Amino acid sequence: MTSTEGRSGADEKAAGPAFECRSVTVEFPHKFGRKRIIEDISFLVRSGEFLTIVGPSGTGKTTLLRAMGGLTPTASGSVLVHGKELDGPPEDVVIVFQDYSNALLQWRTIAANVAFGIERTLERRETEQRVHDALALVGLEKNADDYPWQLSGGMQQRVQIARALALRPAVMLMDEPFAALDAMTKASMQDELLRVRDRTRTSFVFITHDIEEAVYLGDRIAVLTGSPGRIDRIFEIGLPAPRDQLTTRQLPKFLEYRYAVHQAIGRIHG
Amino acid sequence: MDRDRFIAGINWPGTAVLVFVGLAWEAAVRTGLLEYEYLPAPSTIALGFGELASQGILAPDIAHTLISVAIAWAVAIVLGISLGFLLGLSPVARRYSLASIEILRPMPGVAFAPVGLLLFGFSLKTEMVVTILPVLWPVLVNTIGGVTGVHQRLYDVGRTFRLGRRDTILRIILPAAMPPIIVGARISLGLALVLAVVAEMVGNPEGLGYAIVREQQALRPDLMFAYIVTVGVIGIVLNAGMLALAKASFPSARQLRGG
Repeated sequence: MTSTEGRSGADEKAAGPAFECRSVTVEFPHKFGRKRIIEDISFLVRSGEFLTIVGPSGTGKTTLLRAMGGLTPTASGSVLVHGKELDGPPEDVVIVFQDYSNALLQWRTIAANVAFGIERTLERRETEQRVHDALALVGLEKNADDYPWQLSGGMQQRVQIARALALRPAVMLMDEPFAALDAMTKASMQDELLRVRDRTRTSFVFITHDIEEAVYLGDRIAVLTGSPGRIDRIFEIGLPAPRDQLTTRQLPKFLEYRYAVHQAIGRIHG
Repeated sequence: MDRDRFIAGINWPGTAVLVFVGLAWEAAVRTGLLEYEYLPAPSTIALGFGELASQGILAPDIAHTLISVAIAWAVAIVLGISLGFLLGLSPVARRYSLASIEILRPMPGVAFAPVGLLLFGFSLKTEMVVTILPVLWPVLVNTIGGVTGVHQRLYDVGRTFRLGRRDTILRIILPAAMPPIIVGARISLGLALVLAVVAEMVGNPEGLGYAIVREQQALRPDLMFAYIVTVGVIGIVLNAGMLALAKASFPSARQLRGG
């Protein structure tokens, strides 16, 4: 699998946490003052870890992710990538957005979309190789010459994931990427994402409002609640790997975690 | 293959109606059903074409009008797209200038013909005064709309992939705004022909516009109609050429398909 080669950059740094938030607070201008959206958020993401962040709407999930990706400035606190504090979008970190049809470049073919993040810095042959690998990773080799509007929603979201993977990032930030997909597509995309993680050892921060999805995917779950949003609890999820849509979801432990996360959210919103 | 597709692409019912109207016109004039001194039959107009061609005056007239169209359109494209990007990217520039644009835009270009005549006399410059301003608007307005219409998410994508300002403009905004810009350019091209002909009628005694007036005054309706048909054919050819060019340059633009 060529796609795991050339990831040595991330592997060298594997010793420390890939990503860290230190009491991050974000505020937006609001009428006469400033409205606090998220407050005092602290957690770290280990290399190759799948961290899910779950919370009801209005708790600042997207704001948190944008702050992590350097798109939204923090009012206080800091975000660190490989121990380095970021100002602006960091190298090695890339965001996958929920609204894939807006996020894809409609005038480019699938292959050209996937090349978007790397074509300026890499040689042509290297770019082509990486595009090919990334498309193979999400099963879209046959669609390289199609345009985004010729693909289904699930396939379009795969293109966005492939575009992020082509960069070989250390951390992928995903903002409810499967929220607009139907249940069956969603299930296969979840498994695909876990396979990609196993092959590339990329760290994932995955935001969702779907508690089952958070439990199924996560090595750990951070629960974001309240307004301004705070991280109330972080659950370690001890479910066996590889996860399976049928058997994992039937495990008593799966149901226990599901119950516990529900409780953690409901205690404040009940 | 190509020939089959070309034949399949022809609008046969539409063509049939066209042929029928032509034949009916011919018949009406010949049978005396239409008795109007200055309405020649299509066959007479065709003979007029022959006369113009043998005198060698049709080609220079066409050339003059085409050159005027080309100059006015090129100025409109360059000015419209660059100004459109400036205004599209800068809310401040927009706030200061949109009111002026909205006042200038509805003014008919021909209204400036006397101004041009006072400034430049009967000349190509006067023709440009009449033509350029109205031709500029579709490109300018569509470029502003195209640039301001770029989805916010695409800017986020640009930032997460760490594009600089120049790359953001060249790799995101320009291609994203291209479909409306092409639409504006197409409207402008059609307008440029109309206005060049009008300008030649009132402000510059040259080209196809003046030729129509000239033959009218010479009481040669057959030649006059031959010139009118020429203008129409040029309009069709320019539009088709523009579409083909746009399709070839931007194969991905869905909006251009079958347009």
